[in-house]
Amino acid sequence: MKCLLLANESAEVLFYWTDTEFEQRVQEQYGVSQEEGERLPAFEDSINTLFAPIIISCSTMVDRLGDNYTSFSTENNHIYVLHQFEECLYIAVNGDGDETEEDLKRKIFVMKKLTEIMFGMVTFSGALLRKELRPQDTEQRNRLWKKLRSLLETYSRLRENDQSFLVEAVERLIHPTLCEQCIEFLERRLVQQINSNMDRMGEEVLHAFILVHTKLLAFYSSRNASNLYSSDLLALIILVQDLYPSKINLDETSEMAEDSLQTLEAPTPDPSAPSRVFLESKECPMPHSMYCLPLWPGITLVLLTKIPNSHVATSVCYFLEAFVKLEKRLCEGHEGAAAMRGQPSVQEQRSRLEKLIKTWAGMDIQVSGQQNFKNKAFSRSGSGFTRDLLPSCRNMKTQLCGVYRQFFAAECMGSSQRLAPHLQERALSMVQEKLMDWKDFLLVKSKRNITMEFPGLIHFIYVDRSNGQMIAPSLNVTDRTVSELGKGPLADFIKKKVWSLVATAQRYLQKGYATVTLRDGDYFYCYFLWFENETGYKLEVIDIPSSPDDGAPVGMLTCDYYRKLLRYYSKKHQNEVVKCYELFTVHLGVIPNEYILQHCSQLARKLWEPTRIPLL
Amino acid sequence: KITLPPLTNSFFFLYDSSKVQEEVDLTRDGIYYFSPEDTPIDQQELLCGQLAGVCRCVSELSSSPVRLLHLRKSKYAVRMKDKFLWALSCVVDIPDVSVCDLLDQLIALFCFYNGPVRQSYQLYSKQELALRWARYLCHLQGGSTELHHIFSCLRTIDSTHIDPLLLLKAALILQACQRCPLVLAGCILYRGRVVSTQMPPALTVKVMVYETQTYSQDFQVTANGLSSLVGSPFSSTATTQVFLMPTELHMLRCPPVDRACRSHCNQPPCQPSRSRLLSRTLSDTPTTDTDSSMPSSPRSSLSDELCFSPSPSRVNTPIHSNLMNQSEYFTPDSHVHSTSNGTNLCAVEEHLAGLNINQIKSEENKLDANNHVTNKNGNGETEEEAKTKSKQINRKLKEKNEPTNTPSPHETLEDTSLVPLVLYQHRVKGLVLALLVEPEFITDHSAREEVHHSSLASLNGLEAHLRNTSPGTPGPPGPYTFAHYDCIQNTLTTNVCGRSVGPQDQAFVKATKLVHSHFSRLDTLQEAIVRNASSAVYGTRTTAQETYFLQQGTPVRNSGSPDPQDSAFSLPRKARLRLLKHGVNLL
Repeated sequence: MKCLLLANESAEVLFYWTDTEFEQRVQEQYGVSQEEGERLPAFEDSINTLFAPIIISCSTMVDRLGDNYTSFSTENNHIYVLHQFEECLYIAVNGDGDETEEDLKRKIFVMKKLTEIMFGMVTFSGALLRKELRPQDTEQRNRLWKKLRSLLETYSRLRENDQSFLVEAVERLIHPTLCEQCIEFLERRLVQQINSNMDRMGEEVLHAFILVHTKLLAFYSSRNASNLYSSDLLALIILVQDLYPSKINLDETSEMAEDSLQTLEAPTPDPSAPSRVFLESKECPMPHSMYCLPLWPGITLVLLTKIPNSHVATSVCYFLEAFVKLEKRLCEGHEGAAAMRGQPSVQEQRSRLEKLIKTWAGMDIQVSGQQNFKNKAFSRSGSGFTRDLLPSCRNMKTQLCGVYRQFFAAECMGSSQRLAPHLQERALSMVQEKLMDWKDFLLVKSKRNITMEFPGLIHFIYVDRSNGQMIAPSLNVTDRTVSELGKGPLADFIKKKVWSLVATAQRYLQKGYATVTLRDGDYFYCYFLWFENETGYKLEVIDIPSSPDDGAPVGMLTCDYYRKLLRYYSKKHQNEVVKCYELFTVHLGVIPNEYILQHCSQLARKLWEPTRIPLL
Repeated sequence: KITLPPLTNSFFFLYDSSKVQEEVDLTRDGIYYFSPEDTPIDQQELLCGQLAGVCRCVSELSSSPVRLLHLRKSKYAVRMKDKFLWALSCVVDIPDVSVCDLLDQLIALFCFYNGPVRQSYQLYSKQELALRWARYLCHLQGGSTELHHIFSCLRTIDSTHIDPLLLLKAALILQACQRCPLVLAGCILYRGRVVSTQMPPALTVKVMVYETQTYSQDFQVTANGLSSLVGSPFSSTATTQVFLMPTELHMLRCPPVDRACRSHCNQPPCQPSRSRLLSRTLSDTPTTDTDSSMPSSPRSSLSDELCFSPSPSRVNTPIHSNLMNQSEYFTPDSHVHSTSNGTNLCAVEEHLAGLNINQIKSEENKLDANNHVTNKNGNGETEEEAKTKSKQINRKLKEKNEPTNTPSPHETLEDTSLVPLVLYQHRVKGLVLALLVEPEFITDHSAREEVHHSSLASLNGLEAHLRNTSPGTPGPPGPYTFAHYDCIQNTLTTNVCGRSVGPQDQAFVKATKLVHSHFSRLDTLQEAIVRNASSAVYGTRTTAQETYFLQQGTPVRNSGSPDPQDSAFSLPRKARLRLLKHGVNLL
């Protein structure tokens, strides 16, 4: 029994997802039984009614007590997790014991991340996000909600089955030679060719990568591209998996035909249309177009392009930030010059803004309210920088988000903005040709990436948090091909244990514990987190600050805990590059502890090498 | 640095949502008790209103009562029963399981001394009962360390500083008292700590509240200079009515050694087999025995379940009519008679008290003069008699002038499955003998005298010995910190002392909270080592105990990468060695 819900402060549901069990329960409980055609809106209404008291109570608690609910649990172990992002309240419910409080919190943060990927800076404005998530047009809304639900379900499937989504790090296919060849191919042949072609419609390929299921074979970024963060890469893999789901439980060789059929009826109505994605950069969420080109079932080429006018995002963001700062200082009671402290001079900003607005006007984009702000802030008769400016300051924020939306929201771009279809086809066939001889190998390799040779070692996961990559033996319990663990109940049991080990380790890490060993039933579990410099020299352990219970979950897909951790550690080691590693192991409990610890130490040393494959 | 007990600054309230149903109803009418009591009423209303509203909404959605509410800055353990809602808050880093236990203990304490909640509020005013909630809350909050709260354990005397013969003596006193067939079980307490007990931990905790309360009263008297404790013999006895859950009573009445009986006669209490009680030997009295035959740990929710959902099949058994009956005799006010002039006067006072009770009885219940005799076996009444008495109590409830709130039959029936008994207490200075006795004990003069006289001399002796034992000043703290929790006896042995704790102790308590929480969630977990840069803590548990150990001093600096030389991994070995001398065997 699961549910996830987004609502704004006026208790309006902006999006919801439920499983059939939850839906049935609600319907039984409230006797919602409608005609076929009317069923959906009526269910939405009952969801609304059901959760309204909770949502309203949330705002009351914030307003009057300065505190807010983070979770509820009931005697029959139903869990409700709540999290407020700005004006948006997320509620996730589980009533079947499949998910813990931590899982639900993570799901909420992932949902938030997905909306950021899809809508970028628009998420900064509650009013605009509402418009975006809840379009007036019912059909449009259904389409969007269907997409979001599907993404959420794809994420949940990956989270449940894929180790790279368990630890939130990208898994590399370990084949250094092929990897290097592919990178070279992507750089010299593919990207260069596309970027020099006239039919690219002003777009420019910045990143190109090849995925085998969820594993990364090769990744190339052009020289003028900014860094693609692991959190974004993981989110993009969710998008790709949503478009071309891996049928994890199928044996590739015998069921290829069926699989190809699956690919033929690809879900996108317009296969050459890119998806709009907003990726993190130093300045702001930058709009990109993402092209997913299925090479073969399970193998995908992904191109990320810079779109025309994307520089506008940077300037919108610059002013948005200025207004956010101003608003904050005004709220804190600073007025006049103090309100503008720490920012370029008022006059300078003013002229820059005016110039920009003129440029936008030329592009048919209006910024209303700017006059109003100017009158109040700068004119002699106006009040200057006082609290009275707050409403128009907020209005300017919304206006700027609106401009951003007009420029970059997918539907505003017009359907013609894309790499010409023939260019996409060309790219596809080039890479197909290149990998033709490798494809079967790759599909098998993706299931047998690395093997273990320590007696008594049941499983391990090794993560390099500096580059967001992980290595682990496969745990395909539903697979017909037998993994190292075999299959059936034992493999399933181990899988559950591995999943709970990671959750446990993260809980301790959140409280500042970087080493944990556990004896649980017949198994012995270890977790280590440590820092090294670039040459592999182990750096001294530090006290890791413990984060509050309602903070972001430990991981990389959402708020990127490890990026912050590395930044924190680097402050003490400013002269060198700091790397962060994690190792999770499961051993048989009968093995003496000292051997287990020795194994772990050897394993860490051995696994250090493969992570050094250049990724460029 | 001083760490405050986790319940300081916490909220506790009891809210009756049946009082707030219409738009016009005021939230404050539903607030039965709110602590701290000086919280502004609008804030009380805000909290109660919001939390009750949310709990109701969630419990409807999930068809189950809410158990926990987490907020960013605090958390609330919640109990919802009928239209009542109890909520107890604490800071966020107290384990969920601990705060839930505390709330359940608090409610159980109230029911133990006052009987069913709804009925109590029909018989007594909110103000009267507020005093009691405050007392129980204070008892749970008071005087113990954070570790005690984490494990919600009994405070015991430090047995390492006491001659084992004294413990044996205490056990013998208790057994001697049990020769009187009306005595079910007892415990001996010294200055708020358990010396010996025959009761399961959950009951001992309840009995201790009364002890602490009368102790502090005595202390007040002394402080006022009205009488002096020092040098003069000081002895008193007191009785009060208490209410037990059927399971608790069952455990007391069924001889613990007879496991066949325990496992077969489940819900309905088997008839007390007096002969066995009389012939009990030392080997079958300790509560460890009692509980090791129970599949669940004492901290399981078993008892809570029973407190809230008594088996409905039992509602018509005579024991219940018995209860209704008894509740007319006694007001839950305790009859404390203390004197500084030795035992004679005391006996006179008791006699007077007895008369008093008889008077009440003759006034209010002329129907059954022999009641205490017929009830002796717990089934002396006929259905008809029971019905008459039910009517009587209903009449009395009506007289209490709450006609709109006559409980539904269902409610009344459910609530009244609590069984009334009497708690008898004999104090000799700091030493207290507390006995759970059958209600007839109070009118049975020979029984009372027998118990009193058979134990008096021994109690005096025991008191003198305990008083002269050097107070358990712990030796110089070792180079390690540990806590050993006995899940069966619900006791804690630790060298973390007092309220002021150093940074190492804080690190220890923090890790202990986390690992204890983990143990409580995962049954199969046997041991854990957790380490950060400045400390490493080892935790291990079996079904009977949980032990935590920290080696003081910063662990040998390393990188945190897997390293067999890491000092954290030698903790299990060190703990095994070091703790042996504290009587903790981890082998």
